[in-house]
Amino acid sequence: MQNVDAVNSDFIEKEPKMNYLTNGFTLKSWLLTKDHKRIAIMYLITVSAFFLIGGLYAATIRLELLTPQSDLLESGTYNKVFTQHGIIMVFLFLIPVIPAILGNFLLPIMIGAKDLALPRINLLSLYIYWIGGALIMYALMQGGVDTGWTFYTPYSTTFSNTYVMATGLGIFINGFSSILTGLNFIVTVHTMRAPGMTWFRLPLFVWANYATSLVMILGTPVVAITVLLLALERIGKVGIFDPAIGGDPILFQHLFWFYSHPAVYIMILPGMGIISELISNFSRKKIFGYEFIAFSSIAIAVFGFLVWGHHMFVSGQSIYAGLVFSFLTMVVAIPSAIKMFNWSATLYKGSISYDTPMLYAIGFMGLFLVGGLTGLFLGSMGLTVHLTDTYFIVAHFHYVMVGGQVLAYLGGLHYWWSKMTGKLYSEFWGKISAMLIFVGFNLTFFPQFILGYQGMPRRYASYAEELQVLNIFSTAGASVLGLGMILPLVYLTHSLIFGKNASSNPWMLPGLEWRVPSPPPTENFESTPIVTWEAYDFSDENGLDLEEARRRHLATIV
Amino acid sequence: MVNVNNMATHEHDYHPPGLQHQFEDMKQQEESVALGMWAFLVQEIMFFGGLFTAYLVFRSRYPMAFAAGSNHLDAFLGGLNTLVLIVSSLTMALTVYYAQKGKRMMQVWLIILTMLFGTTFLVVKYFEYSDKYHHGLVPVTGLNKRTKAADPNAPKTEGTYVNTRSEFQWHDEKGDKIILEAREKGYLTPHEEIGYFTNGELDNNKVRDKVRIFFWIYFVMTGLHALHMIVGLGIMMWLLWTAWRGAYSADYYSPVEMSGLYWHFVDIVWIFLFPMLYLLGRHFLAGGH
Ligand SMILES: [Cu+2]
Repeated sequence: MQNVDAVNSDFIEKEPKMNYLTNGFTLKSWLLTKDHKRIAIMYLITVSAFFLIGGLYAATIRLELLTPQSDLLESGTYNKVFTQHGIIMVFLFLIPVIPAILGNFLLPIMIGAKDLALPRINLLSLYIYWIGGALIMYALMQGGVDTGWTFYTPYSTTFSNTYVMATGLGIFINGFSSILTGLNFIVTVHTMRAPGMTWFRLPLFVWANYATSLVMILGTPVVAITVLLLALERIGKVGIFDPAIGGDPILFQHLFWFYSHPAVYIMILPGMGIISELISNFSRKKIFGYEFIAFSSIAIAVFGFLVWGHHMFVSGQSIYAGLVFSFLTMVVAIPSAIKMFNWSATLYKGSISYDTPMLYAIGFMGLFLVGGLTGLFLGSMGLTVHLTDTYFIVAHFHYVMVGGQVLAYLGGLHYWWSKMTGKLYSEFWGKISAMLIFVGFNLTFFPQFILGYQGMPRRYASYAEELQVLNIFSTAGASVLGLGMILPLVYLTHSLIFGKNASSNPWMLPGLEWRVPSPPPTENFESTPIVTWEAYDFSDENGLDLEEARRRHLATIV
Repeated sequence: MVNVNNMATHEHDYHPPGLQHQFEDMKQQEESVALGMWAFLVQEIMFFGGLFTAYLVFRSRYPMAFAAGSNHLDAFLGGLNTLVLIVSSLTMALTVYYAQKGKRMMQVWLIILTMLFGTTFLVVKYFEYSDKYHHGLVPVTGLNKRTKAADPNAPKTEGTYVNTRSEFQWHDEKGDKIILEAREKGYLTPHEEIGYFTNGELDNNKVRDKVRIFFWIYFVMTGLHALHMIVGLGIMMWLLWTAWRGAYSADYYSPVEMSGLYWHFVDIVWIFLFPMLYLLGRHFLAGGH
């Protein structure tokens, strides 16, 4: 495929062709589809619904914490609310959000394939996700769970009188959805690359999803068996986590965090992949240190498996184990830092355009920096004793999960929205909401660092009077954040009906996904593309004229 | 699949049997499917890995209780099952061989044989489980045989066997003696020093609880393994049906090969389970019940 042709072809009026959205309108054509793009859209809808539910729980938590007394909710109810917030956000939102939606949609296109290698497995993973999600929703409507999303034993096995079983089963089932997605991605990247699409020409988003997939298939089965053991222990009223018979509740924590720390990387690596795309493409500059970013993803995936003990510094783990885990936690920060440095270096002397996706990317860099560095506070053995189970840690992981993954996801969603739907969203509202989210987020969570440092424990409905001012800030910030999150729902939906039609390459970028129509046809490519260019190649030979891009950009944006 | 673009991709009109639309050729499809299967097996290893970890942790804490518990498993039946599975792996491997040769009836017979061995394994397992049921060795209360207080026909372990509440039971005088000897020689782990004794006296309830952990792990591990065997038999059923219809030839046999990989994997898990659960530590307490 000649790149110049690809660009020029935009100007040639084509006959309207059938795309993946118009290829069949029946419910059956959606529910039994094997098209990765349709599956991604179905994921988009369900994951968004779960995000909304999880968000409502977050709003309830912040409302309760407006006042020092537990007045809106009883303590028991509050326990359920933060537990459900955590479970829904972690298992039903953060883990699938980028791989299952954007990864699913774009990975095959980015490597020049017609579909994922195993389309039926892909559909199966969606159904498994639905079943798992439905079970968790069922448990929630029956009365919910109050164990915290971490399900620590022996509370969860012996003492809690809530719907631990149904929720656990839901998480167990749901895990296989993410295992199958990971498996599918790994196979696809290995076997489905188009001719000329070598490993080092892969977009970094693909590398990031590949690394994520490694974590998914290596880590998720461990949490699956752990949750299964927990469930069996609840049914059988006896088991290996039961201290009454010489079992070990700490073993549960080891097994749980063996997955759940790497799971943190399932929740951030794909986001980092999107940021690599955005930073390079919106600076119109080849990414700095491609190989370093690619391998740092793999390094994070590997080293991420060796640090789980940093969740257990105060759980009675030996001090020598603690030392090793503390050291390794510092080590695993290095690949993340490598990414940050390379992104910054990419920005240097780039021709940066501040479109909505780029605003999210820049927001990500700021928030992830704070989230990552406070992670080092928590990884150092001395300080962590003071900060464990305080709001400091709540703020830390929200900076990484929301400031990282959610911002990256929103950036990616805006970036590829035209590709996925064929419509242009309103840049004006996009920028407003990106800024609202950034401000609202900081206002919500920065005070929580201070609250935590001052000793406010997490997971309580009431707190000391003198902490109220900062809590009011936090709740106020949450309202702004909430508004910022609702806005995209409105204007993106609006764009589906009223938005202008997008050209195949509205941002004027060289990636393979911008060389197929928007929205793409069912088989993605008319003929298998032959890749002759490096990733992020903005040289003149690639036919992408910056001035022309600006001109067209202005012409298309509302 | 509706062909939207008048695909120029399929210049060659020849479409091999079993080639799915997303692949260019059979080689790509076979590679993908094989890699997918291996990745699946990797996740299976991690799945069982959690259990192996639990086993390691508790075995290193309570080695005597684990040895005593494993002494109440039937090593002969376990060994027999090991043999059965190894032979079934052979018949499975031969199935793949004859699928490559395209010999239909040989495939069919070998699949039937493989299924027969798989079923034998499960039947033996059933007898082992029911033995535990009768001896009160199922760790979950309510899943053991309930006896009336003075039932003369109740099976005997050591001492009088009474299990009115269907509880996990543990009577093993020989085991107790060896634990005491081990303490004198200073062989016990720190966990055992606390875990078996109350005020310096051997506490049968405490020992029972540790043995109970052994049987809990035994049932979860072998139970999950048996579940995998049952899934394997389901796959074999499907394979039998397709092989009967003559679906496999030198050009297309990857479903047979993939099912074979799964079958071998399940066998290998057993190859680890057998020595871990049945054999390790038996020499401490040779003799059995
Ligand atoms: Cu961690």
